[in-house]
Amino acid sequence: MNLVSGYVKLMRMPASEKFPDANNGLEPAIADETWVVIPVFNEAEAIREVIGSITPCFKNVVAVDDGSSDRTWDVLQDCAPHALRHFLNRGQGAALQTGTDYALAQGARRIAHFDADGQHRLEDLQKMVAGVAGDECDIALGNRFAGDISEIPATRRILLRSAVLFHRVVSGVRLNDVHNGLRVLSREAATSIEITADRMAHASEIIDLIARSGARVREYPVTIRYSEYARNKGQRWTGSFRILLHYLIGRFAG
Amino acid sequence: MTTFQIILISILGCLGLFGAISGFRRSIGRPAAVIILIISLAGISAALDPNQTTRIARAIGISRGTDLIVYLVALVVFQGFVVFYLRLRKVRRELTLLVRHLAILEASSGDGRGRIRRNATEAEASDP
Repeated sequence: MNLVSGYVKLMRMPASEKFPDANNGLEPAIADETWVVIPVFNEAEAIREVIGSITPCFKNVVAVDDGSSDRTWDVLQDCAPHALRHFLNRGQGAALQTGTDYALAQGARRIAHFDADGQHRLEDLQKMVAGVAGDECDIALGNRFAGDISEIPATRRILLRSAVLFHRVVSGVRLNDVHNGLRVLSREAATSIEITADRMAHASEIIDLIARSGARVREYPVTIRYSEYARNKGQRWTGSFRILLHYLIGRFAG
Repeated sequence: MTTFQIILISILGCLGLFGAISGFRRSIGRPAAVIILIISLAGISAALDPNQTTRIARAIGISRGTDLIVYLVALVVFQGFVVFYLRLRKVRRELTLLVRHLAILEASSGDGRGRIRRNATEAEASDP
């Protein structure tokens, strides 16, 4: 086999075969049936690395550029297996729903939501996908408080705990981490949930929709990487009041 | 009649006329046209006879006619704000649906797999 034919063969191989240990025990067929949706907004710096870390295991990655004003779209066209673009910025919730609808239309058996700033780990995603595929639950949610919490900044910890308490009171949902962007949904669960909250209030809306859907939910311990980049991109604590206001208006005004 | 009354009555008269014409032409909804007409007629009536508002105010337990007008204006402004906000929310939601629909349409109209990366090989692009 000469060098050229060897290269062509390598390029035609499924990613899971190219990187045999990338699946971390997850069956390649299960990984191939799972579509990873990444909402992206002004992430030109980090998105190539994030997508590159997932594609050795998951070949179906849908990156939705939510009207970025930097070079994100150019980068996505170059590195994302599936790239979609909102011509106007409509928020993370809208981008997630776009990616989910697209993946469902392509025949996805499972949908995973993954953040674009590199704070989620592939091994956590694989564990959750295996859980949904193994019928442990219909919806797998990441729970950062069951993992290593030493990296979570104190102010964020207080805010996240407050959000958990708020949802227990308002929605009656007993979860331990309601604002974790790492989720895996079975096809049926993803079909039954439609996010209408455009902006960041979608995380709270998803929790309500999950509670109403009657789907079996399980939380999985995950570790969030609070890098300098992710911290700078993340929500400010003052933004939580805006999220709360949007959520309440959406909940009560319809 | 004072100059202020003349100006106020003229403005309210124009507002009432606008409501009546718009309602007649159906460029605004009938309920909105009726509300505009009622507000303008009530305003003209209060401007012509200021003591009238005091009498109405006292009849419903408010001491001054001015207070009654302030309360009514506050209510109308608040209701207008709520209506405007809900309409804005609806428009924003419709805009989101449009943006999302276009994104999927654009991605699906090409090769059915979204925007394939530019440097993808033909074999990868045709792989179902």
